[in-house]
Amino acid sequence: MFRRDPLADPEPLIKRVYAYAAYRLGDGPDAEDVTSETFERALRYRKSYDPRKGEPVAWLLGIAKRVVDGGWSNTEFATEDVDFVDATDLEEEAIRRLTLARAVESLDERDRELIALRYGADLTARQIAELLDVRTNAIEVALHRALGRLRGILGGDEDAEPVRKRGASR
Amino acid sequence: MRYWRRRHEGFDLEAELRAGRPEPAPEFTRRLEARVRNDGRSRVGSLRVAFVGALTAVMLLALASVGGVGYASSAAQDAAVSVKRVVTPKDVITVLKRSPAQDQYKKPKAKKVKKAKKKGKAAKGRVRARTRPPFTG
Repeated sequence: MFRRDPLADPEPLIKRVYAYAAYRLGDGPDAEDVTSETFERALRYRKSYDPRKGEPVAWLLGIAKRVVDGGWSNTEFATEDVDFVDATDLEEEAIRRLTLARAVESLDERDRELIALRYGADLTARQIAELLDVRTNAIEVALHRALGRLRGILGGDEDAEPVRKRGASR
Repeated sequence: MRYWRRRHEGFDLEAELRAGRPEPAPEFTRRLEARVRNDGRSRVGSLRVAFVGALTAVMLLALASVGGVGYASSAAQDAAVSVKRVVTPKDVITVLKRSPAQDQYKKPKAKKVKKAKKKGKAAKGRVRARTRPPFTG
């Protein structure tokens, strides 16, 4: 008679949507705006949630993806070189995270989206495939390549997968 | 990126990506969570009212189909009469105006009083009684 409320336990959902948005747009106000907008739309259209189609988080990330693609996709990051970071001034952990975040930001749109869904929102390759309407195998291969490109950026690896031009996959 | 290369050779990138997952500010999370929960609460409230209304309607229909509504109304009337009987003060005595005994033994009709004798005769009698000598035994 009554459907399960997809937003019954919002806190973990907020964190996962935010992590996705932050990996795509950068940590900060933009990610917060996307997260807020995602939940506003989710509240408005919560009746349309169908549990047979997937978990609430997958439904929310579908909304978040549309929000990002609709209004925030043109946002350019400040992708300045992070070599200037001085390890003596900051904690090593903070530097590592900052460096990693910058490296993710320098990936192209498609790779960033995959990284955001897999490691930000913590979806499985299968869930990502359902969300993006592609085969699971294709997602696994694309993720492997994205990680290779990220390794290349972080390590300056000459043999790593070349970073595609931003937006080339669209 | 040279710093990274120097310090993190042989690191697990996937683990780093998971560990370095960006987290929202606690204040932002609290605010958004409150917004979501408040919206849900109002929806649940209206759903509850609708559910109770629908359940009542279904029960009334089910009762009406087996004549339960008439039964219930007569039972309610009986209950009301009983309550009224209990509540009404008992010191009020109802007098029956008519009864079989009253019908059988009617009050005798009042006899017509004979007209008073003439003043002169009565006065004469009284005078005569007074003149008689007193009884001494």
